[in-house]
Amino acid sequence: MALHDTSVTEKLVVGPKWRKLPLGLLIGGAIIGLIGAFVNTRQFAHSYLLAFMFFLSICLGGMFLVMIHHLFDAAWSVPVRRVAEHIACLLPIMAALFVPIAILAPGYIYEWMRRDPHLDHALHAKHPLFTMGGFYIIAVVLFVIWSWLAWSLRKWSLEQDKTGAAVCTFKMRKYSAGGIYLFALTLTLGAIMWMKALEHQWFSTMYGVYYYAASVWTTLATFYLLVAFLKRTGSLSGVVHTRQMHDIGVLLFAFTVFYAYIAFSQYFLIWNAAIPEETFWYVKREQGSWWQICMLLVFGHFALPFLLLLRIDAKLSLPLMVPLCIWAWLMHFIDMSFNIIPLVSPNDFQLHILDIGCMAFFAGVLSLVFIKYFNSHPPYPIKDPRLGEALGVHHAGARAPIAASE
Amino acid sequence: MSRRKRTRTIRSAAQSLTITENAMAETNIKYGLIAEFDTTADTLHAAAMVRDAGYRRWDVFTPFPVHGMDEAMGLPRSKVGWFTFFAGLTGFTLGMLMIWWMNAYDYPIVVGGKPLFSPIFSFPVAYECTILLGAFGSLFGMLFLNRLPKLYNPLFRSVRFARVTHDKFFIVVEATDPRFSDIDTRKLLERAGSKHIEEVRD
Repeated sequence: MALHDTSVTEKLVVGPKWRKLPLGLLIGGAIIGLIGAFVNTRQFAHSYLLAFMFFLSICLGGMFLVMIHHLFDAAWSVPVRRVAEHIACLLPIMAALFVPIAILAPGYIYEWMRRDPHLDHALHAKHPLFTMGGFYIIAVVLFVIWSWLAWSLRKWSLEQDKTGAAVCTFKMRKYSAGGIYLFALTLTLGAIMWMKALEHQWFSTMYGVYYYAASVWTTLATFYLLVAFLKRTGSLSGVVHTRQMHDIGVLLFAFTVFYAYIAFSQYFLIWNAAIPEETFWYVKREQGSWWQICMLLVFGHFALPFLLLLRIDAKLSLPLMVPLCIWAWLMHFIDMSFNIIPLVSPNDFQLHILDIGCMAFFAGVLSLVFIKYFNSHPPYPIKDPRLGEALGVHHAGARAPIAASE
Repeated sequence: MSRRKRTRTIRSAAQSLTITENAMAETNIKYGLIAEFDTTADTLHAAAMVRDAGYRRWDVFTPFPVHGMDEAMGLPRSKVGWFTFFAGLTGFTLGMLMIWWMNAYDYPIVVGGKPLFSPIFSFPVAYECTILLGAFGSLFGMLFLNRLPKLYNPLFRSVRFARVTHDKFFIVVEATDPRFSDIDTRKLLERAGSKHIEEVRD
């Protein structure tokens, strides 16, 4: 592309008021977390797991977006792909942040680790997977696969920034084609081993896809905010147009429905079959104010975003989309809380100070790394063969641009 | 050619002439100007020019959907979505009502210890009804807004227009447009790059 040379060095400019925010979140969160870890270890372990699963959603969702971009050979998402690549490359950081969970797992988080499989049939039936060895081996394998995939996808993308060679696109396509299977299997394993295993007696074949749907939904909300921000601050202002914002909005809309479909299906099947081994999970989550949380998920996680996103022009309206994306974060937090927190607060929903501390810590660490990634590489794939197409210059022989006269 | 045969030929020619004259007499209303184009890019560009000239009653005909034509024509967003939405809402409500009526009111039967009516088990059917009526709303809303089916269009009188289903692109400016003028509109279409412009009469 003659339009874009390799000397593109738009940095992520954060306003002076906000510049200290990530570091502040990190330090504040770390202090709260450290105190909590000694004062109330059990609560800390669950709050930390909650924050971990929340941010793991976004990192895995980022990797998914990169993969579907390559699998569909998409053009529109080329200018925003680098953002998703950086999000995916936060997965090795997530591996490091898994260490506290690995340490606290037997003593404070997973009850099955303290049970004798010979006296617990539900545990015995899942034996090779649900053993101490199985738990740690799976964790290592998952993080190795994720880091390798995320890193390889970004490596070839950055390589293309230098060479502009089509072979890089083919390489990324190959990683995506194999990677999407690995992604599906590993994400399901992760969701089962770390979140569903909190109640190891429970069965739900939809749990992996449930976590996946919620993850991609949250990622798209995050992605929309990041791209809108980078477009406004200038890093992506030259390449991100209405098309990109609209299409991310459309995907967010689609995943709003998909999540609802999966979440409802899981509930519906268990409700209809009415087998105690399955229903207990939902019965627990209908106690006290958890019932209101159920309703909040039905109407806040699905109905409200669904109705707001229905109109085409809604997806382009920042005054609507920015609060909606932040609302999506809140809803995903509530959803993860709905999955994890009944273990420590069975009677009522609670928002513990440690939940907020752990969330702040993760947000701080990951945004610091993201800013570092973003500032050390070109802001978008500057030599991707599909970039021109994404910018709308593919109409051979097209004359003047046809903008509607206002 | 025998004399008798020649007479018949002349007579039939005269007959057809009379028919044409009659037809001309009946169809003397000017419908509009029709301009032919060869490529999508030319058509998009010409449509943008007609749009910017402020015409209201005009249309573009192409053999296949052309990306960007909505903006080039300055068309507002389609209203079909409203038909879909309200039809879908009706479908959902009717689906729920139907199940309640059949299972809990008209012929109540307890199945599998479940309540006589619950939105949980009714949901899949209500959801299907939403989709069914939503699809009907889209289809019939679209037909209604386009005033379809329409069995006759004055453009069928143009011989060249038949190629619109093959490889030609057409812009039609109707004579009822307040800005329409034989000379200026023709000039505009010429400037827009049309190589063939003709008047269509109805």
